[in-house]
Amino acid sequence: MAESGAHISCQEVVELVTDYLEAALPPDEAALLEQHLNFCQGCVWYVDQTRATIEAVGHIGTSELTDETRDRLLTVFRDWKRS
Amino acid sequence: MTGTGVEEHGVPPLQETDLLVRLRAGDERAFETLVERHHAVMLAVARTYVKTRAAAEEVVQDAWLGVLKGIDRFEGRSSLRTWIVSIVVNIARTRAVREARIVPFSSVESGSGQAAVNPDRFRGPDDAFPGHWNRYPRDWRSLPEEVLLGRETIAAAMRAINELPAAQQAVITMRDVAGWTSEEVCAALNISPGNQRVLLHRARSQVRAALERHLDG
Repeated sequence: MAESGAHISCQEVVELVTDYLEAALPPDEAALLEQHLNFCQGCVWYVDQTRATIEAVGHIGTSELTDETRDRLLTVFRDWKRS
Repeated sequence: MTGTGVEEHGVPPLQETDLLVRLRAGDERAFETLVERHHAVMLAVARTYVKTRAAAEEVVQDAWLGVLKGIDRFEGRSSLRTWIVSIVVNIARTRAVREARIVPFSSVESGSGQAAVNPDRFRGPDDAFPGHWNRYPRDWRSLPEEVLLGRETIAAAMRAINELPAAQQAVITMRDVAGWTSEEVCAALNISPGNQRVLLHRARSQVRAALERHLDG
């Protein structure tokens, strides 16, 4: 990814951000990325935006069921219970 | 939101073991709680195998029946949710074979060259700083929380997820909507950690881009 250990570009950072947040980057690449973040406000904000995105998605919630689905599944349950 | 408000806030969530005991005893509320917790993930996983939403709904309904019929045999060697999703996968796979659909996740689906951020946001190869931002992303931390986590933003995130390819949708739903660990996702979908991260990366990148369009106009 990074050439001769020099530096990585912003365009490379945006492709590494998930591996970085998942702590799946090899140590040398993680060090390069952190070095980049030390001088690049744009990428700091990008990583922030990614964290904010994860937080927003976390607020969607899993319990959104239509009444039709709920009724259908409760029928499955009641039939099972009777059998 | 379209539910009946059975999820009471401030009440600690029921533990899996309690739910299991109650479900085995035929407690309907325990079943409803499980459905609320896991239906979205089940549907997203089913969608990766079958063509239509209607077909996926049928798979999930069959899977719930499978859960009920098998609940006495569940030994807790995996987490309950991993076991539930494995039932979805089995039923969906059988159906996909019948419909002669290819089984997903065998390879990362198309769009492998897809960039996380539109390349025109970066300086070109002839620039003194190739690959650096033309224009910085905005500082979202300076936005009020009621905007960043407001209803419209959450709705925009939901729309973006619904537009993702099925495998990406399944992974982001499991990880970021339902809070599964990467290990659970890999086990349930039988994919490698690397494959899981690629799918998650594409999904999160697309959702971030959609939120940027929504928030920055």
